[in-house]
Amino acid sequence: MNALDFIKKAKKGEINLEDFYSKLFKKLYDIDKKYECFITICEEEAFNQLKNLPNGRLYGLPVSVKDALCTKDVRTTAGSRILSDYKPPFDSTVVARIKAEGGVIIGKTCMDEFGFGGFSTNCAFKVPKNPHDIERSCGGSSGGAGCITAVLDEPHIAIGESTGGSISSPASFCGVCGLTPTYGRVSRYGLIDYANSLDKIGPMAKTVREIALMLNVIAGFDEKDQTTLNENVPNYEKIDNIKGFVIGVPKEYFDGVSDVIAEKVWDAIKKLEDKGCKIKELSLKMTKYALPAYYVTATSEASTNLAKFCGMRYGLELPLEGNFNEYFSKVRAQGFGEEAKRRIILGTYARMSGYRSKYYLQALKVRTLVINDFKKAFKTCDLLAAPTMPVLAPRFDELEKLSPIENYMMDVLTVAPNLAGIPMLSIPCGSIDGLPAGLHLMADHLQEQKLINAGVALHG
Amino acid sequence: MPKKGVNENELLHVAEIARLKLSDEEIKLFSKQIGDVIAWFDKLSEVDTKNVKPSMHPLENVNVAREDSVEECLDTKDVFANTNHKEKGFFKGPRIV
Amino acid sequence: MAEPKVIIGLETHVQLNTKSKLFCGCPTIGLEKPNTRVCDVCLGLPGTKPRLNKAVLEKAIAVALALNCKINKLVPWNRKSYFYPDMCKNYQITQYDMPLAYDGYLMLDFEGKKKKIRIRRIHIEEDPAKLIHVGGDITKAEYVLVDYNRSGVPLIEIVTEPDIESPQEARAYLSKLVSILEHLGVYDITNYVLKSDANVNITGTERTEVKNISGIKAVVKALSYEVTRHKNMLRRGVKPMRETRHYNPKTGLTHALRTKETEEDYGYIVDPDLSWISISSELIKQIKASLPELPDERAKRFVKDYGLNQEQANALINDKALADFYEECVKEYGEPVTIAKWIVTELLKSFNYHGITLRESNVKVSEFLELFKLMDEKIITARMAKELVKAYVDTSKSPKTLVAEQGLRRISKTEELLGVVKKVIKENAEAVKDYKSGQEKALHFLVGQVMKETKGQAEPNKVREIIKKKLLKQL
Repeated sequence: MNALDFIKKAKKGEINLEDFYSKLFKKLYDIDKKYECFITICEEEAFNQLKNLPNGRLYGLPVSVKDALCTKDVRTTAGSRILSDYKPPFDSTVVARIKAEGGVIIGKTCMDEFGFGGFSTNCAFKVPKNPHDIERSCGGSSGGAGCITAVLDEPHIAIGESTGGSISSPASFCGVCGLTPTYGRVSRYGLIDYANSLDKIGPMAKTVREIALMLNVIAGFDEKDQTTLNENVPNYEKIDNIKGFVIGVPKEYFDGVSDVIAEKVWDAIKKLEDKGCKIKELSLKMTKYALPAYYVTATSEASTNLAKFCGMRYGLELPLEGNFNEYFSKVRAQGFGEEAKRRIILGTYARMSGYRSKYYLQALKVRTLVINDFKKAFKTCDLLAAPTMPVLAPRFDELEKLSPIENYMMDVLTVAPNLAGIPMLSIPCGSIDGLPAGLHLMADHLQEQKLINAGVALHG
Repeated sequence: MPKKGVNENELLHVAEIARLKLSDEEIKLFSKQIGDVIAWFDKLSEVDTKNVKPSMHPLENVNVAREDSVEECLDTKDVFANTNHKEKGFFKGPRIV
Repeated sequence: MAEPKVIIGLETHVQLNTKSKLFCGCPTIGLEKPNTRVCDVCLGLPGTKPRLNKAVLEKAIAVALALNCKINKLVPWNRKSYFYPDMCKNYQITQYDMPLAYDGYLMLDFEGKKKKIRIRRIHIEEDPAKLIHVGGDITKAEYVLVDYNRSGVPLIEIVTEPDIESPQEARAYLSKLVSILEHLGVYDITNYVLKSDANVNITGTERTEVKNISGIKAVVKALSYEVTRHKNMLRRGVKPMRETRHYNPKTGLTHALRTKETEEDYGYIVDPDLSWISISSELIKQIKASLPELPDERAKRFVKDYGLNQEQANALINDKALADFYEECVKEYGEPVTIAKWIVTELLKSFNYHGITLRESNVKVSEFLELFKLMDEKIITARMAKELVKAYVDTSKSPKTLVAEQGLRRISKTEELLGVVKKVIKENAEAVKDYKSGQEKALHFLVGQVMKETKGQAEPNKVREIIKKKLLKQL
């Protein structure tokens, strides 16, 4: 049963939610044992929610939330040891909106520490396993969200978060749908920051219709996040046909993509053509510069965000020994994982006096050019289509051999649209030897509806 | 383009600014890796950005502000809920010198 | 050798008197209990986002206009990264390469001359938390206690060019600045704090920065100490190093802070949690149009409407409370010139003697006006009134109370004065001789002596009359 049918039934009283959740949590514990997708399972809190559940648009629906989103009085770690016991005194806006519509938070999903990674292997607690082959990665950084969405055979929608591709990557590797909204479409209040000018919260689900439902709930201006856009939120569940859409296919997005994946993606693009879309090949010239521009921007911002974790007020604490320099350095050395340290150092370097213009400011200018690239494409195209990931879900033992740069290169197809803040949707487009491939659709700013229309047409 | 590594002193200087105490293994590992990544960042210099304005955000959004009104503060219980470093209503922190 | 030139530049941080903090809804003043005026934002909890307070921007623009600054059209917020236990995020939200305003000036009337102090820039930033060093001072403490009530209070930083040439001129600058801020209604000296970092050197020495000096008086003390220190070092042939020093308000001395272990590199980036500020010329026009009367305009009005001279007007407008006090007195009593004279010469003299301002005194309009009523009713003389001003400021007892307590009154009856006059004539034979030989001045002297003997209570005209008559043997 999908989420939409489930909510309808639950509203009619045809589902005993107490029973449903008792069974659900048994299942979740079993799944977690095998796949390690949760950092925290919120059984007690879920039953507390059931006692007084608002009869809203998500009535009774199980919702999992990436552990970067604050949940009131529920452990929120962002995948980091430095926050291993942190309990926020407030709900993030997205969680508050979900709860207000009757959605039930079932757990906090596994992620790379602070979102730093593409394979969820940089988590301080667990590493989620790919449901299609547990020797392989779920992608990341919202790997836990992709995993539970694929593996749970019950109605459920996940909340993921993307900075440079962290929704699309796990959606693709796990074979589910994931929507990354326009930057500012969804409030980031209560999202533990990775890179604030890039972070976007979005839904992941088995179907695009479920994604539309969740987007309706979470999208819109929020007084608590002054970067949210004060733009009208359409009813995303009102699906239109896509006849006459012009689909651009950027040629750079097939460079270095494995042939089997390219083939599946072209099959999907042909299907769009069959549905009355026009296909147009084009070029996005800034693609190769998007990746370093992204990493400079993201690490610069991240290294300032992570400064607040220093063993005061919250988070990992040690006995107060030494002066503040010594104490902070020690806490941070113990609290952060290797990739977090690497990115803090990179980001600090890129914005240091003497390097600031060369790296940080230059990256912001390249970002303008990347945005212009897309803006130009969307003058003639409704959507862009490309593979989501250049490879199939990699094996953990392969990942261990990658250098940081090779690792960062895996984001090559998702980083540019993330840098441009345009919305994107990854949907499954077949599988190769049992491993799913993903089709990546991208649209102009605030054109989520077009993505949803095309996604429903292809995938439902 | 010549590859520009990051020497150990430079790495330690950056780590100090970032208040990260690195272990010997980390110093060894990072000197090479950070140098490689920085060299890769250097690719950005290939792009002609003369007369290009920097983008801080994907969409321009200006003058979002709130009215000057007082809102409720956080409960004392919540203020100190996540720390043991507290004393007489204050947070405790490390000394300066 | 010529006296070396003193070169001073000030960076002054002013807490703006908004109701709520710069980026959250916590009140800027109120409960003093530590960590009660705090929330997720000003504690820097993970996931929280700053929310700009519109009023801060409007007040800051008003200050920029009052200080004749140019205003940047598009201003981003920056993160200035540095670690310190008073920082809730270990970065401060501020404005760096594009400050709100730049290139302004403040006009001073200093020692009878006009002096322009150029303003380099004005920007907005957040105040850090308050630290208490436990177990000794900053150098000896075991740990710190942190109160985040102050965290996030809006500050504007006003930076001058190094145009100030003496500690006294620094005082004049800061007083005028505060008066302007108070006239604008953006700062309230009783509840909010003003702190300065002072850069000082003399020709031939390296610049010293004295950090974090509260109020105006302390700046003058710290600067005086530094100027002397620089001169002494130069005399001894030692060149002061370029360094940062700390002012101890208890001793009035400055101390070198031990060189920091980590040289900070602020690594400024744009704060990606906030939108840019776009300041339209309409907004500037609108704020300009609604600017209240500023000190210089007020001084002009005092000259024009009340017939004061420029010095009196300047002395009054330099402290908004004093100018308000003056106008209230005039409203109650009239006689603007007389009142100005009494405030500027007598009242201010007493305040300066105690090193206080009107606000720190207990002087009230109604009580101060008692003086004039007592003179009008011929209960006291002007001479007595002068003494009463002093006593009023000293004791906080109203003039009427003082008169009653001390049984003070004007003496004008001949029989009461005659004895004293006789005594004075007897003891000042020389003066008497002079007067008789036609020197009018000698009469003034004799009257003065009688006044002195009667502690000012004698009515001078009556005394003059009695002396004349006595010397003409008419009495």
